[in-house]
Order: sequence, then structure tokens, then C-alpha cells
Amino acid sequence: MSGRIRTQLLKGTTTLLVLTVLRDGELYGYEIAQRIIQRSSGAFAPSEGSLYPALHALEADGALQASWRESNRGPRRRYYKITKTGLGMLEEHANEWAAFSLGMSQAVGGANQQ
Amino acid sequence: MIALLSGIVILGGVIAFLITSVALVRRSERRLGPGPEESGSPVAPGQTGAAQISTFLDRMTAELRLPAADVAEVRAELADHLGDSIASLEAEGFETERAILEALGRLGPPAELGRQLRAAHQSTRRLLVGAGGGVFAAGGGFVLGYLGGIALALLGFVAVSAAVAILAAVGLHLPGIFGNDNGATVNSLLYATSIAMAAAIATRYAVRTSAGLSRHAPGTVAVFWAVAGALVFGWLAIFGMRGPQSWPSVGLELCIPVVAVAAAFVRIERPMPHVGRWAVVVSAISLVVLVLGTIVVNAGVSSTSGSAPLASLIVCSEPDQGTSCGQPDLHFDAVAPMAPARWLPEGTFTGGGSGSDPASGGTRVDDTIGGQGLSYWSDVRFEAWHALPMDASSPGGIDTRYSAPFAVQAAALSGNDLAAVFHFERLRDATWWCVVITAVGPDGHRYRLGDGQGGNSYFNGSAWDWLTAPQ
Repeated sequence: MSGRIRTQLLKGTTTLLVLTVLRDGELYGYEIAQRIIQRSSGAFAPSEGSLYPALHALEADGALQASWRESNRGPRRRYYKITKTGLGMLEEHANEWAAFSLGMSQAVGGANQQ
Repeated sequence: MIALLSGIVILGGVIAFLITSVALVRRSERRLGPGPEESGSPVAPGQTGAAQISTFLDRMTAELRLPAADVAEVRAELADHLGDSIASLEAEGFETERAILEALGRLGPPAELGRQLRAAHQSTRRLLVGAGGGVFAAGGGFVLGYLGGIALALLGFVAVSAAVAILAAVGLHLPGIFGNDNGATVNSLLYATSIAMAAAIATRYAVRTSAGLSRHAPGTVAVFWAVAGALVFGWLAIFGMRGPQSWPSVGLELCIPVVAVAAAFVRIERPMPHVGRWAVVVSAISLVVLVLGTIVVNAGVSSTSGSAPLASLIVCSEPDQGTSCGQPDLHFDAVAPMAPARWLPEGTFTGGGSGSDPASGGTRVDDTIGGQGLSYWSDVRFEAWHALPMDASSPGGIDTRYSAPFAVQAAALSGNDLAAVFHFERLRDATWWCVVITAVGPDGHRYRLGDGQGGNSYFNGSAWDWLTAPQ
């Protein structure tokens, strides 16, 4: 998949990806980016420039809670933890994405069959 | 009993409000603190690429316009991220300089990143919370500042009085700048000082609280609160603060909006000094002294002259053809010659006086006429003349430095009552006055129909009333 198309597809999914990886536990910014790449087997690599604004916006909305802590491998990091609000938001985004991807698959599949 | 319970409830409510507002300010102020240091500096200063990273972070920070703690957090977090990113790239085989450029490039343009982070922090919800919190904190700050201002003003007054007394003891007598106004100038200065302090604390509380809650830099929200403070406290100072006025008090009142604006900007990033226990104790004592003093003064006033603006009304004399109550010469002839007895027979005037006019708040003067009335006379009027202070050393009387009355009112006849209303409380220089009734006689000359009645008063109104008062 070319980089430009992938970037377009990734737009709007950063929130879902961030909330998804944080459901499994607390992570800091760089770890979140790496975890998304790992979980998608390299298919998704969120723009680092959009990751932090997304994290801070989710924190402002109450979906995430941030705290400074010593990390396992060195200096203090800003860890993010998903909140109850964030779990609700994750469920909502996941449902939307499921409906969207199903519709998109059907549409694209239909086009291929024709 | 109900009044006591109401008082306890109101006092408890006020105290709870003050405690809550102070707690809100302190909580919000945490966002204005220094924040975390950059612990994960990716490249040591002086090393290759350190300048590029520093420049990147500076450009990003310049766009943030957030409170200091947020700026420090964002900067530290991104520095940490760059450190991880560079280390990872170096592990992949990148040279340090290339790794730095690649890591910076992945974050995109620093200014755009800063703008996006600012937008993420400054949501509409936070802005509304900040505005509401600012108003709440301003209310608490106003009350606290007012109490502190009373304490400050009273301490200042005591200090000045002590200094004057010491100077007098060593033979250096200062001129009496406040005149004979029964302490009106001092009271209005104390009041204006308290309001100025209240305006300063209220504006400062509002800026710091709304900045912390809305995640805006204090310097940004200060502009809004400065305008709001200038409008609210400007209105209060110019139109809302009514009472005794003088040039010193009006000058101080006009400074109140300026104080509010200055409080919004000057050293606004720095934490406010939190008042200590002794400041609270002094303020409480000052408040108790003020309340007790007000009760005592009001009790004294109500037993003498009520709430009239006249400080001490003095009736110089009844119209008795020039005997002036047996007083020495009070220079009534400076007004006009006394009317000849043939045109003003005894019994024409049966009594008169002056007092507060309840309808207008002015000073009503009247004379009751009997007998033949004033059939000889035309253009009957009351003339208000400047008078000399009346005290133990001076009997008062017309101030002969003036050659004309400072106010004239036509005498309105209602039944047997001749009356007029003067607004001495709206005249700047009507401290001591004497009102004399005059009229034009059959020969076409103006005569004095009696001696007059006098008193002293002080200006009572707003700063605007003072500034627009007729000279």
C-alpha cells in the first residue's frame, strides 16, 4: 500500500488505535506508537506528529489519565491510562469502525465482482 | 432568634464561599507552576544535533501559549520521545546526526505540532469552566481583598495619625488638608482604599484561576480580565461608590480601574503571596472594629440629625430684625441691607428652619409667614452664602471674602410656608453655608428680610457627580 493512501486511511483512526492499545495497560507516548505498529504487524504507523495532540485531546476529554513516573528503562515518562470514559469511547469507536469497514468491504467486494 | 439563625447561616455561607474560592485559586495555580524538568534530554548540550532539537522544541513551545506547567510537561514529553526515537534509529544503524533529523522529521513541522497541541489542551469545555471559575474566584477575591483593604487602610490611618501626632509634639504642625468635614474625607479614603485592594485581588484571582482551568497562558486571559475589570470596577468607582467625596477620595477612586488592570498584568506569572495567619487575624480584628465603629456612629447620628447629609445643622438666628440671636456681628449686611421695619412689620415671620428634604435628599429651608404676609415685596428668594466655620473659636457668619451667593433659589409659597431646596450635597465647596431670605422692596432695591440660618454639609454622591458638579 502506498504511503499516501495509508496516511489517508489512518486519518481518524488514531483515537481508536490509541484507545485500543491502552486497554491492555499503561504506556507512554513512544511505547504507544511502537505498540500500534506491533499490533498491526507494521500495517499502521501513526504519524508521531498527530499522536501527541490526539493523546492530549483524549486526556482533556477525560478518556485518558496521565501521570509522570519512572520508567523501567531509564528516565521519567508520561504514562497514559485509559479511564472509564475512555473505555466507553473505545466501544463506541470500535462499533463505528466495524460498521464502516463492513460497509467498505461490501462496497469494494461488490466493485471487484463487477 | 430567627435573625440570629439567619446571621449564622449567612456568615457560614460567606466563610464557605471564601474557603472554596481560595481552594479553587490554589488548585488552578498548580498549572501555572514550573512543571517537570526535561529529564530525558536526547542529546547533551554541545553535542551534534543538540541545537537542532533545542530549536525544534523552542519553535513548538512558542506556539503553545499554555500555562507554564503544561508547557514544561509538553516539552519534557516530546524531549523524551525524541530521545527514544533517536536511540531506536541509532540501533537500526543510523548515524546520530541522521537519526536526529529523521526523529525530528517524524514529528512534522514544530509550529504545526505546537498549534495542534494547543488546540488539544484548550477545549471549549475548559474555556467555559475557566470563565466560570474566574468569576467565582473574582467574587471570593473581592470579599477577601475588601477585608484586607480595610485592615490596610486602618493601619495606614493609624500610622499617619501617629506621624502627625509625633510631628505636632515636636512643634511641627501640618496644615489641615481635610478641612471641617467631620471625617468625611478620611472615611471616603478608607473606603476607596478597601475597594482598590478588593479590585486588585479579584482581578488577579480571576486571571490566575481562569488561566489554570482553561489552560491558557495567564498573559492571554489577562487581556480579557483587564478589560472586564476596567469596565466593572470603572463603573463602580465612577458611578457606584456613593458617599462623601473630596478631591483626594475622587482621585483614589479613579485609580481603582487602573489598579484592576495593573493587577491583571503585573507579575501575573508569579505566584501570589498567600496571606499568613497574622494577616487573617489583623483583618478580622479590623472588621470587628469597623462594624462596632459603624454601629456606634450610626447610633450617634440617629440620635441627633438622622441620615441627613447635614453634619451639624445650626440655626444662626430667627429673623428678628438684625439681633442675630444675640451673637456678635455675623456680617449679614454683606448680603443686603436689612429691610426697613415699615415694610416688614413685626410678626411677618413666625418661624423657620432647615433640614433634610426627604424627597430629593437636599437641604430644605423654610420660613413661615403670618400677619400681612409679604404684600410689599417681590422676587422673594433664598440666597446661600459661603460662611465661616462655626466652632469654639469662631461664631461663624457670612464669609465676607465672597461678594455674591453661591446658590439662589426662588422662595415657593405654599400656604403660609415659604420654602426652597438647596443641594449643598452636590456642591464641592459648600462646606459651611448660610441661607438668607431676600426680596425686592417697593423702591426697587433688594433687601434682606431676616438674618439667616446656617450649617455645614459635605459633598455626597459619586465621583461622576463630583466631577460634573457646578463650580
